[in-house]
Amino acid sequence: MGTSVQVSPLSGVYNENPLSYLVSIDGFNFLLDCGWNDLFDPSLLEPLSRVASTIDAVLLTHPDTLHLGALPYAMKKLGLSAPVYATEPVHRLGLLTMYDQFLSRKQVSDFDLFTLDDIDSAFQNVIRLTYSQNYHLSGNGEGIVIAPHVAGHMLGGSIWKITKDGEEVVYAVDYNHRKERHLNGTVLQSFVRPAVLITDAYNALYTNQTQSHHRDTEFLDTISKHLEVGGNVLLPVDTAGRVLELLLILEQHWSQRAFSFPIYFLTYVSSSTIDYVKSFLEWMSDSISKSFETSRDNAFLLRHVTLLINKTDLDNAPPGPKVVLASMASLEAGFARDIFVEWANDPRNLVLFTETGQFGTLARMLQSAPPPKFVKVTMSKRVPLAGEELIAYEEEQNRLKREEALRASLVKEEETKASLGPDENSSEPMIIDTKTTHDVVGSHGPAYKDILIDGFVPPSSSVAPMFPFYDNTADWDEYGEVINPDDYVIKDEDMDRGAMHAGGDVDGRLDEATASLMLDTRPSKVISNELIVTVSCSLVKMDYEGRSDGRSIKSTIAHVSPLKLVLVHATAEATEHLKQHCLNSICPHVYAPKIEETVDVTSDLCAYKVQLSEKLMSNVIFKKLGDSEVAWVDSQVGKTESEKRCLQPMASAAAPHKPVLVGDLKMQDFKQFLASKGVQVEFAGGGALRCGEYVTLRKVGPTGQKGGASGPQQILIEGPLCEDYYKVRDYLYSQFYLL
Amino acid sequence: MASSSTSLKRREQPMAREGDQLIVTPLGAGNEVGRSCVYMSFRGKNILFDCGINPAYSGMAALPYFDEIDPSIIDVLLITHFHLDHAASLPYFLEKTTFKGRVFMTHATKAIYKLLLTDYVKVSKVSVEDMLFDEHDINKSMDKIEVIDFHQTVEVNGIKFWCYTAGHVLGAAMFMVDIAGVRILYTGDYSCEEDRHLKAAELPQFSPDICIIESTSGVQLHQSRYIREKRFTDVIHSTVAQGGRVLIPAFALGRAQELLLILDEYWANHPDLHNIPIYYASPLAKKCMAVYQTYILSMNDRIRSQFANSNPFVFKHISALNSIDDFRDVGPCVVMASPGGLQSGFSRQLFDIWCSDKRNACIIPGYMVEGTLAKTIINEPKEVTLMNGLTAPLNMQVHYISFSAHADYAQTSTFLKELRPPNIILVHGEANEMMRLKQKLFTEFPDGNTRIMTPKNCESVEMYFNSEKMAKTIGRLAEKTPDVGDSVSGILVKKGFTYQIMAPEDLHVFSQLSTATVTQRITIPFSGAFGVITHRLGKIFETVESSVDEETGLPVVVVHERVTVKQESEKHISLQWSSDPISDMVSDSIVALVLNISREVPKIVVEEEIAVKSEEENEKKVEKVIYALLVSLFGDVKLGENGKLVISVDGNVAHLDKESGDVESEHEGLKERVRVAFHRIQSAVKPIPLSAD
Repeated sequence: MGTSVQVSPLSGVYNENPLSYLVSIDGFNFLLDCGWNDLFDPSLLEPLSRVASTIDAVLLTHPDTLHLGALPYAMKKLGLSAPVYATEPVHRLGLLTMYDQFLSRKQVSDFDLFTLDDIDSAFQNVIRLTYSQNYHLSGNGEGIVIAPHVAGHMLGGSIWKITKDGEEVVYAVDYNHRKERHLNGTVLQSFVRPAVLITDAYNALYTNQTQSHHRDTEFLDTISKHLEVGGNVLLPVDTAGRVLELLLILEQHWSQRAFSFPIYFLTYVSSSTIDYVKSFLEWMSDSISKSFETSRDNAFLLRHVTLLINKTDLDNAPPGPKVVLASMASLEAGFARDIFVEWANDPRNLVLFTETGQFGTLARMLQSAPPPKFVKVTMSKRVPLAGEELIAYEEEQNRLKREEALRASLVKEEETKASLGPDENSSEPMIIDTKTTHDVVGSHGPAYKDILIDGFVPPSSSVAPMFPFYDNTADWDEYGEVINPDDYVIKDEDMDRGAMHAGGDVDGRLDEATASLMLDTRPSKVISNELIVTVSCSLVKMDYEGRSDGRSIKSTIAHVSPLKLVLVHATAEATEHLKQHCLNSICPHVYAPKIEETVDVTSDLCAYKVQLSEKLMSNVIFKKLGDSEVAWVDSQVGKTESEKRCLQPMASAAAPHKPVLVGDLKMQDFKQFLASKGVQVEFAGGGALRCGEYVTLRKVGPTGQKGGASGPQQILIEGPLCEDYYKVRDYLYSQFYLL
Repeated sequence: MASSSTSLKRREQPMAREGDQLIVTPLGAGNEVGRSCVYMSFRGKNILFDCGINPAYSGMAALPYFDEIDPSIIDVLLITHFHLDHAASLPYFLEKTTFKGRVFMTHATKAIYKLLLTDYVKVSKVSVEDMLFDEHDINKSMDKIEVIDFHQTVEVNGIKFWCYTAGHVLGAAMFMVDIAGVRILYTGDYSCEEDRHLKAAELPQFSPDICIIESTSGVQLHQSRYIREKRFTDVIHSTVAQGGRVLIPAFALGRAQELLLILDEYWANHPDLHNIPIYYASPLAKKCMAVYQTYILSMNDRIRSQFANSNPFVFKHISALNSIDDFRDVGPCVVMASPGGLQSGFSRQLFDIWCSDKRNACIIPGYMVEGTLAKTIINEPKEVTLMNGLTAPLNMQVHYISFSAHADYAQTSTFLKELRPPNIILVHGEANEMMRLKQKLFTEFPDGNTRIMTPKNCESVEMYFNSEKMAKTIGRLAEKTPDVGDSVSGILVKKGFTYQIMAPEDLHVFSQLSTATVTQRITIPFSGAFGVITHRLGKIFETVESSVDEETGLPVVVVHERVTVKQESEKHISLQWSSDPISDMVSDSIVALVLNISREVPKIVVEEEIAVKSEEENEKKVEKVIYALLVSLFGDVKLGENGKLVISVDGNVAHLDKESGDVESEHEGLKERVRVAFHRIQSAVKPIPLSAD
């Protein structure tokens, strides 16, 4: 009957930890998001590690660490090997976010949880979908259709709809119903009555969103105030998510006011980020794509923002007040942390937070009220080795290399024996050596000479070491030399060769500096020292998170009115608050599972399918109501030729049924309708509508609930016996369909 | 699924619902190339594919035959790509006709559409009366055009559609339309060969029931891409190496970008050529370059991986020329210029200068329209006429290397073999080529299950689809799965083409509709004794229950468990009931009764005998009414033997048994109709049963 649906959170319930939820639909396991936080604590991923290998598909929603940060680690260490589905921007910007995270970490620690290669390989098997693309899964997932839809919040951000047999499971976290500069609002409201809605209660208690217009003014005023007195402004931002909106605001404002203060966007991947974003116009708001279509004006051709990929460029920038957007937003790593430490003790400077810092990070600490006067910060730096350390390191490396070489030669010997033994006529006796040489060069760089000498051991079992000699005899037959047609086929690859040279690494788009950092194999070490930083600069927090606030969350859920609701990702209070609210007024089935607690949200809906026979349908008269049509049917169950259940007309006259009035009466609309018919009409107290002199009309019963979930409407019409009464009654009837 | 037009089926057609007929009518591009426009209608939904002009004509003559259809009934208009013969009559159709549906195209198409048509309006030198639309109309049309991304499913009035990559040019799409489970694929122009920047046309996941496919290339086969590119680069390399100039006349958009990519790449791989400049001389192409630089996502993986390093459309060895004045002709160079046909403009100016030098070369990169100079010089005449009327010897080398991105025969037949659509409709091809293609395709599908049609303009192809209507019974009604013979009654909700049956109580749960109950309370002045009312009601209605209101202690009467009559005060009584037709009727009669009591006191006489007598009379009356109604419905109704009625319609005869309601007839449809009519008449003339359940 129903499709079985189970939800069990792996992280991110009753707190603000990264998001990661396991949803199993008829035994097919979806991992919804695979997040990590800026602290990269592997213990957070323990629940995931227990189920990673059983996961069949991963769906990603947003391109930030909280939603996809654990992907490389889970793929490498936890045995996650399922295909990953995401939109193109989530894939691309997510990849850049991970690069930035890795490179920032690598600068300050011996980060070994994953490497750039792990990131590349994790993102290589991402299947990219477009919004509203219905993707039919195959294999065990046969019959399941997944589709990403617009979520707002971040570029490419998605809410996922998973459908099986008409049952819809909707996963919507961090959506934004408001339209922003570069993003459209979510389309979550267009889903009506899904079987299950999994959503976050993150902002359930936060209802104080100021008008975006006022907020922008305040934001820009705060920045310009500090710039004008000669201070610097630091905005700790994420790598490729919300920062795009901030860049647009600044860019627009700078062109309007013709400011000359420079703006710098500093992450390890800033230039690639903007390059990609420029080609993602189809994912952005209608106004951005419209302006491009009509005037070819790409909003992300930033004229006032300088993209920087390393800190030296910023240090070399002309002195004077400037705005710097730098990652990470948490101030735990990245350029933002360094800059913060440098700038914190100047009271003219401003650190402007645009989002709530992750729990337990420096940013969160600074956002507390009142802000701390001093913070203790551990600053780490990667420095090249020098002097004795370097010598010791080199000796160690040499020793390792020698060992490696010895092992390689042994292996080679084995191989040589193995290959030469049975196949003495091998036409290329030298091949083993060339291969080994090649390998050695590849992995050990400049040390290869030693190894060539070390490694060149004559194969002990060979018959006689000699240079290869080929007897160049060609085969002839009666038509002449035998030709192998393959030799003359023009190979297709040839024409792409040039491009491929230029193309190089397919996925690993990195800036040159980054690349140099990556390839920088100079021995180095990390040194740390603790600093006490005096925080004398101004600290301001403004909400540019781009999430729906509590009130809109409630009205959105009420509009969607799912049959069952699962709440995740919020503090305990917020979760409890929203749960109570929904239980009271939206739907009776609200769940807020704890970590690794499995809730069964299989719908208890009964349904079966029948075929409607032509005979039946030819006698049905539909009445149009909104975008659907309704009719009453009396029918009898029969069988079609193919043994399917089929509805046929009744053989005998149907028993009369209780008449049903179908329609949704809005008092306000009805009032206008009556007025247009010339009836004097006004609202009396208590929601009653006075029509004419005597007749009153009111709605009784529970009325506070929206979405039609409250059951049938009760309308009471009363008045004395008079003509008006019957007139109003006729008008009222005209608003309904009688079935 | 598709029914042929045999006589048997024809006879049944009047009985089948009208909506099951599917009509495809080319309004343009039927047995011709240009002005693509195909109309399709099925189950009351109307779709138009493409909206082009014929570039060979001007003014109204260039339009498709729009007057064949009523533009106001079109629900959706889908544009496959930006070429003039597919999109250029759109401003006219949107602004000058009664069309009020929705228009969709891909992002890239929309961006280029505007530039291209604005350019077209500027360039076309026709009189004001002949102008189909102006720049203002184009700008207005931009607001009405909606964008669709590849694979994105959109639903409009129950029509579901999505698009696949079509190759051909940037943003070109093939549309798959799904109406009530019947799928139609319209390919537009497509190419199954991946080239330097475009993806090959995708093979749709689902096989369509009808495939409307282009046939431009007919039965021709293309040269392999490698050979074409090699010839192209070799000619250019050898010409410039000998100090010659190369002219490539090409249409500003589409293939030109592909050729530029080839050149830029070739130059990058041959440093010896770096001192030889390449120009493209088209302001339009220059404007569109921004679009090409942006919609990288619609291109193939190769471009996307190059994009990872640098944008391939930011050319390193190619520069733009705005006009011939900027061009300094000082030695070997490569120039790509429009128009492609060498009719006039920049490409012609260069041709006139260069044609007599035998070191120079001209490469014609694609299909050329009859009558243009480009078509003429392919045959390498000795002399050509210059723009100033003089003749000059044609000494430059002329090469024809086709880079046209239309599917050739091999691609078309593979594409169709994979999809195996039962109906194939060929459009967008020259009549002879199309016939050859049709013949050859027939040999590919010898089993006879495939119909291949080549309708001319305005010639309709009709097909019949017997789509099953499946309904889902949900909620309370479905608690028990019924067996054969059980009855199912409920509300049937139709949304788009999906049906659901549910109990009225569940309506608000499973749909956005809601039910309502209307309670009515009416007060009537009445000053007599309440007992009189109770007595009178008891005389007229079968079930009348008296009780006493618990709160006020006043008497209450409930009639037929529907209407509550209550004494409100000395002067008033009230009636309360829940609205439905029967209760309304009961209450009306109570109101009449109460009013009559206050007016006068009529005598109620029980007249038993009359009642019995009237019973018989009633029977007769009923019979008469039934007869009269049947006559009004079916015309020829006679009284047959055994009291049966004989009804004959169009030579079919049905016998109706008035007693049981049984109908006998050889014609199923007639039998059904008579039976339903008789049931309805019976329920109309017989007394209304009061107990609803």
